Amino acid sequence: MSRCRTAVVLVALLAGATAQAQETPVRGGTLVVAISADPGHLNPAITTSGATHAAAELLYNGLLGRDERGEPVPDLAESWTIEQSGAVYRFRLRDGVSWHDGTRFTAGDVKFTFDEVLLKFHARTKASMGGVLASIEAPDDRTVVFRFKHPYAPLLQQLDATEAPIVARHVYQGSDPQANPANASPVGTGPFKFVAYRKGAEIRLARNPSYFRRGVPYFDELVMRVIPDDGTQVLALENGEVDYLWGVPGPQQSRLQADNRFRMAQTSYHPGGSNCIMTMSFNLDRPVLKDLRVRRAIALALDRDAFLRQILFGEGKAATAPISSEIPWAHAGGLAMPAFDRVEAQRLLDAAGWKKERQGTRTARGVAGVIDGTRLAIDFLHFPTFAKYGELIRQYLGAVGIELIQRPLEPAVFAPTVFKDRAFDTNVISYCNGPDPEIGVRRMYHSSQIGPAPFTNAAGYRNDRVDALFDQGARTVEREKRTPIYRQIQEIVVQDLPYVWLVETPTTRAWSARCGGFRAWTGLFAETAFCKP
Amino acid sequence: MTARYLLRRLAQVVPAVAGILVITFVAVHTAPGDPVLALAGEHGDAVYYAFIREKFGLDRPLPEQLLVYVGRVISGDLGLSFVHGRPVAAVVAERLPATLLLIGTALVLSTTTGVALGVLAARRAGRPSDLALRTGALLAHAMPSFWLAQMAAIVLALGTGWFPVQGLTDARRAFTGWRYALDVAHHLVLPVLVLAAGELALTTRLVRTGVREALATDYARTARAKGLPERSVVRHALRNALLPIVTVIGSRAGLVVTGAVLVETVFAWPGLGQLLLSSIQTRDVPVLLGLFLLTSVSVIAANLLTDLAYVWLDPRIRYE
Repeated sequence: MSRCRTAVVLVALLAGATAQAQETPVRGGTLVVAISADPGHLNPAITTSGATHAAAELLYNGLLGRDERGEPVPDLAESWTIEQSGAVYRFRLRDGVSWHDGTRFTAGDVKFTFDEVLLKFHARTKASMGGVLASIEAPDDRTVVFRFKHPYAPLLQQLDATEAPIVARHVYQGSDPQANPANASPVGTGPFKFVAYRKGAEIRLARNPSYFRRGVPYFDELVMRVIPDDGTQVLALENGEVDYLWGVPGPQQSRLQADNRFRMAQTSYHPGGSNCIMTMSFNLDRPVLKDLRVRRAIALALDRDAFLRQILFGEGKAATAPISSEIPWAHAGGLAMPAFDRVEAQRLLDAAGWKKERQGTRTARGVAGVIDGTRLAIDFLHFPTFAKYGELIRQYLGAVGIELIQRPLEPAVFAPTVFKDRAFDTNVISYCNGPDPEIGVRRMYHSSQIGPAPFTNAAGYRNDRVDALFDQGARTVEREKRTPIYRQIQEIVVQDLPYVWLVETPTTRAWSARCGGFRAWTGLFAETAFCKP
Repeated sequence: MTARYLLRRLAQVVPAVAGILVITFVAVHTAPGDPVLALAGEHGDAVYYAFIREKFGLDRPLPEQLLVYVGRVISGDLGLSFVHGRPVAAVVAERLPATLLLIGTALVLSTTTGVALGVLAARRAGRPSDLALRTGALLAHAMPSFWLAQMAAIVLALGTGWFPVQGLTDARRAFTGWRYALDVAHHLVLPVLVLAAGELALTTRLVRTGVREALATDYARTARAKGLPERSVVRHALRNALLPIVTVIGSRAGLVVTGAVLVETVFAWPGLGQLLLSSIQTRDVPVLLGLFLLTSVSVIAANLLTDLAYVWLDPRIRYE
């Protein structure tokens, strides 16, 4: 039933995409986009905040962009070469690019942005590249050279406006990038330029008439509307007040789907994090969860398809490997992931010394490090928005005699509780793999990533072999050589089970059927978009 | 006499505000939660988070942070917002007009209509129209505002197409002058209706009870016996019944910040309520403290004004 529906949706989406491609773009008009949070400032180079990136990426460019499959394509750089088996990357910059204030864009801007802004303030780029980058050189106005201490594989995936937007040296030089007034009235190179920022209400952008891609953008004006409630966002789309939504909540998707005034598309890209998998973590410091049999029993007791049906309303995929299927070359197929099997789960729990006397919660009898008679009750920390995951896991674990105690915590409390205090048994986190495993997967498993930094190795997982494989993967530039390395990693962690990988969660964009030309898979989503009046 | 009273009350404001400031500072800082995520974004390394903490002084001992903060507030500086990177006073001030407009309109509407309906119900006590008003008021008061807001958006906006469901203005058109005012008024309708509904119900029931009681007093009977028209009798009764109403309206001053959170969120109204919510979520401590300060000052001011209104409404009241 749900497969059938997915197929119908796919056909409908493909048909929609073809119909759009045939339409001729219309010039002029205003695009109104709903954003969920007031970004506070509009400098995407000093933060990884999804709110700022959703609102501001159209003002900027990266050295490279990304195509529909997430592969790098030219943006500010028109070509590149990889030298010394991946330790040196040389970029040739596009000619005739200017900043919104008319100043010419040069290689010096790129060097300045990395040295003084991204590698100091962009959390992801700093964490991944900071330690291995030896230097960035700008030998002439149109050449940038990245030199690494050793071959560095993921660089080309880290140069779009999400990971590395380029800002203007003449605007930021000699200032504290976090306090520069230009953060509220930005100057970029992007398809749209800044007009006004009404705090808490909207950001108004206008067409950049001297954009380096001639002929685009088509809109005269673009308005980012702050609408915090996602239900209101859908109502505003239906009422014709906005044209484009970054996401549609599950229950509302079928309503919009049935309405031919709207179009929808799924993408796993989001400026706040791409290729996300809802993941249950085990605190491996806890005696109860140190026992692989208990972790395996928990994994076996959960029916991943139920999460897909009941929480995502079919819009997503049950996870089939630790790495997202949206990174196809790294995602391992045919892994022995624990499949839903209550009988086996019960057997493993019995074998581990957690006995079921009557109906109800199991108790310990001869479990190492646990007093006999202790009930098998574990806590489960989650963001309030993920409460449904907790309810479903509680229900499934209850069926095999494990009591789950849900503890909803706001993000600002969740992060220090899990990563600094390590005060939890289990939790659920939306781990976004990013465009390369080096960016978003390594941090979940590498032992150097155990520590207070939020959304790193929550399990506290240590495996020397896995550490070595990740280090090898990061230094191997040829993709066909990286694939087997990440396959090995996934085979090991599926055996060790520091996590249970539940569902892949793409987001569903929606827009008015009057409009087309959106590129939902990039932060420059409206560069080639248009609306008929 | 009242002047001396006023001075004494004003002198009490300073220690009250200072106390509130210290208590809220300690409360906000001892509550669990870490602003560093909002400050720095996700996926950083430990060194980076430590650097950001140091930069914003979050690594200092709490008493030291408190002293620095109080010192700044005394010199009129509420600090820098973590999220917005700008002075708190500016961040709060730019959201204030939208909230004042929303709350002010809702309070005026609910008070005037509520008094009118309350008087009507009191004069028709026991009749079907009174019963209808009382039932309606009870329903409106009992209805949760987020539900009412959703219903208003679905039925009145989507159903009729007459009203927008979000924002302060039309995103597609940049009006100026009186057309801008009309645009804002158009966007104001639904949030004001929802916000006023609950207040209106409360005021109606209070006025009805108060006027009924007053109409049963000796002075009302005397007035009627003197042959005064019923209109004048009701006017006298109403003035006496207004004292509790004024108290209720005065106590609503705190709403300026807190009460409109739900309505502002549902209707994407860019006011202080939304700012409060997002600041709590991101632990934007300086903005939170600024908002608490504003709330406490406005509650204190409203109480003072309420006391003064008593004197004007009821000349028998004397403050020593």
